[in-house]
Amino acid sequence: MSEIKKPKNPEDDWKVWMVVNPATWLMPILFAVLATVLIIHWVLLSLGFGF
Amino acid sequence: MSGLTEQQAKEFHEQFKTTFTAFVALAGLAHLLVAAAQPWI
Repeated sequence: MSEIKKPKNPEDDWKVWMVVNPATWLMPILFAVLATVLIIHWVLLSLGFGF
Repeated sequence: MSGLTEQQAKEFHEQFKTTFTAFVALAGLAHLLVAAAQPWI
């Protein structure tokens, strides 16, 4: 495949939205963050960390 | 690919960064308050 230029981050971070359409994927991304947060807190609380 | 123009992608990314920074700051504050009230480690 032709040599694709490697992105320089964070300056090129914005280019992700040239591939991933936020109109479609913003809510799924936010729900994924929520699911991750809930799982982390659930695991830690069940391990006894916290009240 | 996504259908966004360069301008739209950059504009959206600025808002995304702002919102995510606010989210991290708020979560950090919440964790500091809980850590102060009830240390978990």
